[in-house]
Amino acid sequence: MSSAQAEVGGGRYLYCIVNGGTELELGEMGIEDSRVYTVPHEDIAAVVHACQAKPYESKNEEKVKGWIFAHQYVIDQATKRFGTVLPFTFDSIVKGGDEAVKDWLGKEYSKFKRELERLNDKSEYTVQIFCDESTLAGKVEEKSDEVRKLRGDVKAKPKGTAYLLERRLEGMIKDLVAAEANGYSKKFLEQIKGHADEIKAENPSKRVPEKWKDKLMILNLSCLVHKDRVEELGNALGEINKLEGFAVRFTGPWAPFSFARLEG
Amino acid sequence: MALEVDEGNLKQGLLGLVVALVEIIQETLERQAIRRMEGGRLTEEEVERLGNALIELDEALERIKRENGIEGTVKSVRDGLDQIADDVLDKMINPKRWEEHELGAG
Repeated sequence: MSSAQAEVGGGRYLYCIVNGGTELELGEMGIEDSRVYTVPHEDIAAVVHACQAKPYESKNEEKVKGWIFAHQYVIDQATKRFGTVLPFTFDSIVKGGDEAVKDWLGKEYSKFKRELERLNDKSEYTVQIFCDESTLAGKVEEKSDEVRKLRGDVKAKPKGTAYLLERRLEGMIKDLVAAEANGYSKKFLEQIKGHADEIKAENPSKRVPEKWKDKLMILNLSCLVHKDRVEELGNALGEINKLEGFAVRFTGPWAPFSFARLEG
Repeated sequence: MALEVDEGNLKQGLLGLVVALVEIIQETLERQAIRRMEGGRLTEEEVERLGNALIELDEALERIKRENGIEGTVKSVRDGLDQIADDVLDKMINPKRWEEHELGAG
């Protein structure tokens, strides 16, 4: 252990595991400007800062945001410098000093090495597909005889009955739109599968970004993609984006948070 | 922490909450009414009367919202309730289910 590395309490905060077997200073860019450096073992290293052996906790949302931002920033910088990294989630802390980190790296070496090789040159991308419900509603109305018949009934019946029929019509269209959206989401997933190394389907979120508000998210994917295949995935998504009533949000590259298998 | 409440705010908030809850009840009533209509046990007159009563309720709620300027409050209460329901459901879903969502891709 380098004597220059001051002990701050009895813990090491973990950002990520990288390829590279030398001790390096990465600068004061960590959480609360802490000094970030690498602790190597053979040809891999953990990117850490010295901290207390207790988690970072605060009720102040802004403060926590700042910490998470710094956590992400260090991982981004490490990715630029070392290539593929195995990222840890916020607040992963090893008890003990640099020696404890080295021991732990030694024990888990084969797993970390295997994951670094498996994820080499691959990054995580987020793919979200939104659909415009009113465009879909127009399509399902054209296709459904039942909807057309009900629409006719609404016009023909007296006011009170028409009101109830109209509510029924709304419900029917809503169900048909949901089924249609589900069909599209399955179709798009199949298309995207062919361009990604691995896919994790997350639950579509109701919280839609401002740009797509009023639209419905029908697909929310984390995709692991090799750098040579990013362009083809982008092209495939571009085709979906051109379809009437659909929009695609494609973000990344991110460190492979959803794909690094660091447990067990 | 002290809450700052002026009378106008309190009225709007409370009324907004009450109207949002009545709207939810209204939707349940409408669903039940449609079910009965489809069940075929109601005469045409009964269906018409039921529909008219529901129109009156709908108009009354719209009027209360408009006259008190609480359209926005009601909407945000309802969005908030939807969000809570979503979060609860997400937590109820067994983590095993999430694993099943994990898909290998070629």
